[in-house]
Amino acid sequence: MGKDASLKQERSSAFVVSAHKRKVQKTVRTAGEFLLLLLASCVAIIVLFIFYFVARDAIPFFELRGFREFFTSSEWYPADDPGQFGALAIMYGSLMVTAGSALIAVPMGVSAAICLSDVLPFSVRQYVKPVIEMLAAIPSVAFGFFALVIFAPLLQNQGGPILMWTWWIVVSPFLLLAAIVLSELLTASVEDRTRRRVLHRVLLIVFSLIALIALFVIGRLLQGLQILTGTNALNVSIILSFMALPTIVSVSEDALQAVGRELREGSYALGATRAETIVKTVLPAASSGILAAVILGIMRALGETMVVWMASGNSSHIPEPWFNYLESVRTLTATIAGDMGEADQVTGSARFHVLFAMGLLLLVVSFVSNLVSERIVVRQRKILSGE
Amino acid sequence: MNLGTRKILDRSFTALGIGSIVIMGMTLLIVLVPIVGKGVGAAFFKGTIEHRKMLFNEFGRGDKAKLNEEIIRADSYRRKAFQMLAGFEAELGRMDPDKQLEYRERYDQVRRSLRPLLGPLPGDEPPALTRFQYGQARWDKAEEKLHDFLYETRWDYSNPNAMAKEYFVTRAAGFEGTSLVRLFPYVEEHLDRMLLPEFTFYWGFITDRSVDAHIFGGIWPEIQGTFFLAVGAMLFAFPLGVIAAVYFTEYAKEGFLTSILRSANSTLAGVPSIVFGLFGLAFFINTLKVSESKSVLAGSLTLAIMILPTIIRAAEEAILAVPRTYREASLSLGSTKWNTIVTVILPAALPGILTGGVISLGRAAGETAPIIFTAAVSVGSAIGLADVFSSPTPALSWNIYNLASEHEAASEIRHVQYGMVLALVSIVLLLNLSAIILRARISKKLKG
Repeated sequence: MGKDASLKQERSSAFVVSAHKRKVQKTVRTAGEFLLLLLASCVAIIVLFIFYFVARDAIPFFELRGFREFFTSSEWYPADDPGQFGALAIMYGSLMVTAGSALIAVPMGVSAAICLSDVLPFSVRQYVKPVIEMLAAIPSVAFGFFALVIFAPLLQNQGGPILMWTWWIVVSPFLLLAAIVLSELLTASVEDRTRRRVLHRVLLIVFSLIALIALFVIGRLLQGLQILTGTNALNVSIILSFMALPTIVSVSEDALQAVGRELREGSYALGATRAETIVKTVLPAASSGILAAVILGIMRALGETMVVWMASGNSSHIPEPWFNYLESVRTLTATIAGDMGEADQVTGSARFHVLFAMGLLLLVVSFVSNLVSERIVVRQRKILSGE
Repeated sequence: MNLGTRKILDRSFTALGIGSIVIMGMTLLIVLVPIVGKGVGAAFFKGTIEHRKMLFNEFGRGDKAKLNEEIIRADSYRRKAFQMLAGFEAELGRMDPDKQLEYRERYDQVRRSLRPLLGPLPGDEPPALTRFQYGQARWDKAEEKLHDFLYETRWDYSNPNAMAKEYFVTRAAGFEGTSLVRLFPYVEEHLDRMLLPEFTFYWGFITDRSVDAHIFGGIWPEIQGTFFLAVGAMLFAFPLGVIAAVYFTEYAKEGFLTSILRSANSTLAGVPSIVFGLFGLAFFINTLKVSESKSVLAGSLTLAIMILPTIIRAAEEAILAVPRTYREASLSLGSTKWNTIVTVILPAALPGILTGGVISLGRAAGETAPIIFTAAVSVGSAIGLADVFSSPTPALSWNIYNLASEHEAASEIRHVQYGMVLALVSIVLLLNLSAIILRARISKKLKG
């Protein structure tokens, strides 16, 4: 009997922890979890701090100068006495290079993502991914150096021919396709078969000739362009688009992958070609994810500093006419980076705080677009999972 | 539409995608090839005797006896050129005053264009700046300078509608009928004997300090500064990031707080890099006063904040990729949750976490905007480890910008700029490449 009891005791001490010890363990565990939570919430605290400290130094500017001048005037003479702080032209410059880079990067990025997710076999994809990663990894200052030292002189000296060749190579396939499709669509309603065929041929030749003439005329126009400076909005837009591409490609590829096989197979079963399947079925299903990718890519271009600082020419004016990409511009990021060197001697002046105001503007824009893209991704995930 | 057209459209759609990918690959090549090609030229080039003189005087490297012998050999050819200059100066003294004035100006130009080739000429004041104490150190630049010496650059403004055109006039034509005419063919013919170019591998480009704002010397201070900044940033961000990832994956319950934290993480990832710089200036330097002004510490902290979201995401993914069976086996052996995390999950996830860390390290090394206001100076010597708390440092990324756009002789030192870009790009790409290889090995291992 006694032996039995002692054995029981032994067993319980081996497997069951005493109440006191359990209590201690529990407290330690809760405390540990709380500590972990505290460390993890560092991220949120940092975000709050960034907003607080950038805003703290931005508000004095608006107190000193008000809102109107900053947002509506394009007179940027911070060094004058009294200084003029109209940032409209600078904001426009940021908008311009961002829009330009998006125009190049979005079609390229989305079609590359489609190609990666739907066209290329896995074995090829394995080699493409590192290329995209390397493109994303190249430091921005190296891109800036390339833009300033190699690309800008090239654009200045050979800009016309470069633009003409790009125009020919990029646009001629599209115009040819448009001619084929248009002639096909226009003759589709003709009943008689031989007449339709003849009409089709004639229209095809006519449209191709029109396309050729358009190509030639605009090509000549581009070739004759005088590019006064290689450090202009076009240069920066091109370089920025290649920096935004990796983001757009990888995020929209994820979105395309998230669209299930069933949708694709359903479309194939109805006799659609791969292009039709992608354009009419997969892209609409993945559209919100791709939109999120585009927003992220655009934010990358808008927030980029070194390339625009080195290669945009840094001249604060609205180009004439407004879409002239061959003129120098100045952007928010480049202004912050460039003017701080002169301004930080006089902490407390409008000249110092205006840079924080610009930083705050960038911060708010990036925050909002991040939230929007995040909402979009969450919504898409919900829709696709069928909730 | 008939089937033929649809097929054409389908094919062109595929071609569009493949074309985009090919353009991306080509871009990578177009950017990297000139950087690698010309960057290698910073260390491998035909160095002249002036390069060897500079190395000996500034760094004490080189064979003194051989150098002296070479100097004597080169001087024997230079002396003749100097004699011609002296002869013309005597001739100039004998001319009538207005002619003298005209020739004097042109003669000064000749001397000015000869100095970059051979260094200070006889009769010059000893120059204060190191860059003027030596002639041309690189043979490729010497050939350009020779062109400047032989030809005068003029601009043709005759067509008011087009940009001015550049054209060249020989300098010799301006001295027709004087004794100086002989100098030009002489220098052109004997330049290699005056400069004695020979193939040089200048390994000191990586390990030397810079001399006279990068006109001569190497980029060691920048490399070291980049190293300090990036490693410093990792010291702060890596532990914090891994702990946060452990919390997110193992402890966080889906709820309001967690979604806020996740949102904060992606917001932080989207903040423009220049805003991090502003924050670093306003918070670490002006408010916390971690240092008097710019310092490596402030720069590292700023960079740490910037790379934190990347590390958290990579670590989260790595932890989530650890198979459930590991966790369950450990728990079934009676191990506590924390014990399981430390002894089972983290070691299994370590390669993945390291991959993220390595990529972040590369990002911290390459980023410029956050360190402009917090850590970087343009010219400076390498700092000791003890100085990281108080002094700023030159860094590769910042100095590439500075040398390329703000240096007073930016076009003279393109080779240094290319060398720096190559150094930075190869550091970053090697880090990324090792991450890619590491990841390939992990995925192979996970597949079994």
